[in-house]
Amino acid sequence: MGEVILTMKDIDKSFPGVHALDHVDLEVRKGEVLALMGENGAGKSTLMKVLTGIYTKDSGTITYEGKEVEFHNTREAQDAGIVIVHQELNMLGHLTVAQNIFIGREFKKGIRIDDRKMNEEAKKLFDRMNIGIDPTETMSRLTVGKQQMCEIAKAISHDAKIIIFDEPSAALTETEIEELFKIIRDLKAKGLGIVYISHRMDEIKVITDRVTVMRDGTYVGTLITKDSTKDDIINMMVGRVIYEDPKTQNMVPKDAPVVLKVDHLNAGKLVQDVSFELHKGEILGFSGLMGAGRTETARALFGADPIDSGDIYIKGKKVTIKSPQDAVRCGIGYLSEDRKRYGIVVQKTVAENTTMASLENYMSGIFIDKKKEKEVADKYVESLATKTPSVDQLVVNLSGGNQQKVVIAKWLTRDCDILIFDEPTRGIDVGAKNEIYKLMNTLAEQGKAIIMISSEMTEILRMSDRIVVMCEGKKTGELDISEATQENIMNMATREIG
Amino acid sequence: MANKTTNTAGTNKSAIDKLGGQKFIVLLVVIALFIFFCAMSPNFRKYTTIVNILDFSYYISLMAIGVAFPLMTGGVDLSIGTGLVCYSLVGGYLITHQGWPTAAAILVSILMGVLIGVLNGCLVAIMDLPAFLATLCTCMITRGLGSIIVGGFGISWPAAGTPGGWFRKIFKIQMNGTNIPIGFLWIILLVIVMTFVLNHTKVGRYTLAIGSNKEATKLSGVNVKFYHIFAYVICGFFAGLASISYAAIFATVQPGSGAGFELEAIGGAIIGGVSMTGGVGSITGTLAGVFVICLLKTGLPFIGLTANWQQIAIGFVLIAAVLVDILKRKSEGN
Amino acid sequence: MGKIKQNPFVQKVGFNRIVLCFVLFLLYGFFCAMTQGRFAGMNRILSALNYAYFLGFLSLGVTFVIATGGIDFSIGPVMFCCALISGYSLVNHGIPMAAAMIISLVVGLAFGLFNGYLVAYWSVPSFITSMASMNIAKGAASVFTKTQSVSWPQASAEGGWYRNIIKMGNIPVGLIIFLVIAVICAIILNKTRIGRYILSLGSNKEAVRLSGVDVKKWEMIAYIICGLLVGISAIFYVAAYTTVQPGYGDQYNNEAIAGCVMGGTSMAGGLASISGTVIGVFIIALLQEGILALGFTKDYQLIITGIIVIVAVFSDVVARRRKN
Repeated sequence: MGEVILTMKDIDKSFPGVHALDHVDLEVRKGEVLALMGENGAGKSTLMKVLTGIYTKDSGTITYEGKEVEFHNTREAQDAGIVIVHQELNMLGHLTVAQNIFIGREFKKGIRIDDRKMNEEAKKLFDRMNIGIDPTETMSRLTVGKQQMCEIAKAISHDAKIIIFDEPSAALTETEIEELFKIIRDLKAKGLGIVYISHRMDEIKVITDRVTVMRDGTYVGTLITKDSTKDDIINMMVGRVIYEDPKTQNMVPKDAPVVLKVDHLNAGKLVQDVSFELHKGEILGFSGLMGAGRTETARALFGADPIDSGDIYIKGKKVTIKSPQDAVRCGIGYLSEDRKRYGIVVQKTVAENTTMASLENYMSGIFIDKKKEKEVADKYVESLATKTPSVDQLVVNLSGGNQQKVVIAKWLTRDCDILIFDEPTRGIDVGAKNEIYKLMNTLAEQGKAIIMISSEMTEILRMSDRIVVMCEGKKTGELDISEATQENIMNMATREIG
Repeated sequence: MANKTTNTAGTNKSAIDKLGGQKFIVLLVVIALFIFFCAMSPNFRKYTTIVNILDFSYYISLMAIGVAFPLMTGGVDLSIGTGLVCYSLVGGYLITHQGWPTAAAILVSILMGVLIGVLNGCLVAIMDLPAFLATLCTCMITRGLGSIIVGGFGISWPAAGTPGGWFRKIFKIQMNGTNIPIGFLWIILLVIVMTFVLNHTKVGRYTLAIGSNKEATKLSGVNVKFYHIFAYVICGFFAGLASISYAAIFATVQPGSGAGFELEAIGGAIIGGVSMTGGVGSITGTLAGVFVICLLKTGLPFIGLTANWQQIAIGFVLIAAVLVDILKRKSEGN
Repeated sequence: MGKIKQNPFVQKVGFNRIVLCFVLFLLYGFFCAMTQGRFAGMNRILSALNYAYFLGFLSLGVTFVIATGGIDFSIGPVMFCCALISGYSLVNHGIPMAAAMIISLVVGLAFGLFNGYLVAYWSVPSFITSMASMNIAKGAASVFTKTQSVSWPQASAEGGWYRNIIKMGNIPVGLIIFLVIAVICAIILNKTRIGRYILSLGSNKEAVRLSGVDVKKWEMIAYIICGLLVGISAIFYVAAYTTVQPGYGDQYNNEAIAGCVMGGTSMAGGLASISGTVIGVFIIALLQEGILALGFTKDYQLIITGIIVIVAVFSDVVARRRKN
């Protein structure tokens, strides 16, 4: 094993209301792949952003190549040889592949940008990586996987000493992952230090040398990959308390009526021929990788995006859903994965957000009955145990979990029978997660039908009665919870199609 | 939807794309309009009319080439119209009332354009004001300023043939009694230069990059603020050039006028395929777009519609151009 | 985060508006002092009020549009278009005064509908739509009046009763009507569904749409309200000045937007204050009158208003930045 190239010691970082990193340590060596693991919100990405100068640390030291350093922006980090392949793609859709790779450090001939040389260099890079991408193609025309490869090519082209991969495989197909691993092994052999952030246990076992685990913003420990078992790592990640009770059997009575039936639904590229049924009182989990088309299915079903073809039946009756209004009228409520953008109006109060979908019920004549509005908001603050000083508080001041509760309240005031939870616990801290889970179970017991889209395997296995798995826009499997395992779900989620 | 653009897999370019996309269609529209007006009115077919159209096209073309840059960053510059008049007034005032040589006055006019460009750029890129609002304010300021400096009266730059009137020859020379519109050559030259700047230099590359994804450009280590400001400086510089061409073509410049010119320039750029949301655009397309506007402006009176109809027509053409842009993006998104 | 205890009165009225009121009085004092008290006369105040009425209606209208996160650059020229078309019909076609007023409102509504439809249903950027309709309004008015200016009847002439909407004897009727309509606007904005949805969609349109609200409809309504108020504004303009000339009106855009932004309405949408707009408009009107009283031309006012808008919008940007 190589010498230590980077040491992060006692790194501390707080945001208003959140202690994101609590004295975290990290060590990267030359010629090794270090896995950085932890649940969503454990602080992995924050730690890497501190390293690359996107965030400034509150305290602690970073030692790189024997010297103490502090980068003020990504450019400084890049110049020093630390680059990051981001989880969210940072691309310029209108520019070509080569232009994207060399943005900010173009080759020049006098004042002229030497596009030909850039194309050649990009081609060389791709050849070295053994992938066939045309450097002159416009970025937005590539598939997500190809775009990811371009990001990696960009990182490599920086002549980096450390490359950080932030969940690189989330959007990739099996073959693309194989390619990625080949590239990583290659880089490793050249003596680079690799930090590999991922959730996927199998990948970790295959590609990494050591595993550093984080939990709730703290450093838990580091293991040698080949000497440790999957259970060791999982134990360190989850800390034994939270996910002890996966569901083992379907809680829905056999004769529960079908509330929603989706028949051969098509909408764009990512919803192809999707059919499923949803029963009263059921939690139907939607599993799959990023970009598998789960959110797109939900949005099409909710009328947020146009449907190309297919039928939707609610309680046996065929319905036409062309807009969210139609969906809401049919009794469907949608809780988006991106609350800030699609769920709440942050500059409005808890009460105003609560009645957003059902304002017509809180009118007296042409005026809004603010007393009645407050009453109903109060009622749900109490029944959902939302933590807010009052219902007049602006939603922006609430924590993620409490914002989610406000969105739930919004749909409950509408008395929706079908609720679609898209990543219900994303960005929510661990304690509040449990509350959301409890709430969902209660809702199901009361006879609501719930569709839950989740990328967290533990969440899927803990909450669902049945599981639908999607891959590349198609439904690739349907399982009862009693027969579901992490392995067979993953298999279906990465199934290669045609 | 956030990831809509990332999901397009097709890599086949259509035939029109290969010919230059919207540019090509707009060029066809220009030719069609020209043929239409020629067929409708015998007077339109005369040489003098064509010279006339070109005369009117210079200042709009120059403004449009300039404003294409802020548009491509995803912003806009509304101050170019009143700005043009302001610079023109000040330059003329220096010649007629202060006895400055014409060359110096031209320099001052262009310099003022650059300065207002810097101001706009700072307001937008550093102070983060919405571009249309910031430039609306500079629009008001330049309108007031020009009028105050010259004392509220119209200003005439030296006439052709009089001392200091040489600058009018930049745009039009007389040979054996016929007018030769050589200004058009300068415009073509500038279009070539700015096409080069847009496609082959850092300034152009980063202008498009900012319009495409400002945050990502910043993360790539580009000095985004500088290049964002620079787009407005280019725009201001061209407004300065436009002020000279305006003074050269028209006998007098009136204070308080100029509002509405920017609309013609912005309209031209958008018709020529510059996207309202930034990231896409071409200078040649912009020029073609300007000629759609100019042909409508000069052509409509020839078929019996008063000058007022032009305004209405330009309004609708502008909306049509934006609608085309929106529909195009929609179809690409799916 | 420690919260500063605020005086309940300050909290209720809003710090911004109290500051604005101070500015208003300081400005008045300043002009009085600079003109050796000539400014204090009733004439000046009435003149400033005349300016405030029509500008006020424009500003109230554009407040609704800005609350949705949009902008309307067509209000000034459309206001002139309303006054010209209705005035031309009145003078040259001899229609009754009441009908002329209705025509003014209808023209305003039509432009509001046009802008709103394009913005809400076709997602054309609002500043492009409104710039186009500014051109269309100017052109249409010129075509309709054959590029002639139109003079509405004098107070003594037949149909001259309309001038009473500004001042009847010594009662400032205009002020009363303006304040009543401002109160109605405030009620619409704060107490009805229209206002709730307009402000919400200005803040986060997609979230409101995904709540099953017909956001397109409500967004369009904001523009329609604006159009109606522009129509009213035209009536108050002619009641004050009688003569309208085609081809003008764009300078009032800027002043109306300035009044609105100064009053604390956020350019980013979602935050609007009618009372702020009213005070903002009074400040602009006072400024206009004061600058003329000091012997300066209108040009200085353009520059000052421009700078005021920059400062007002910048402080809004800074406030939002601090919040994030």
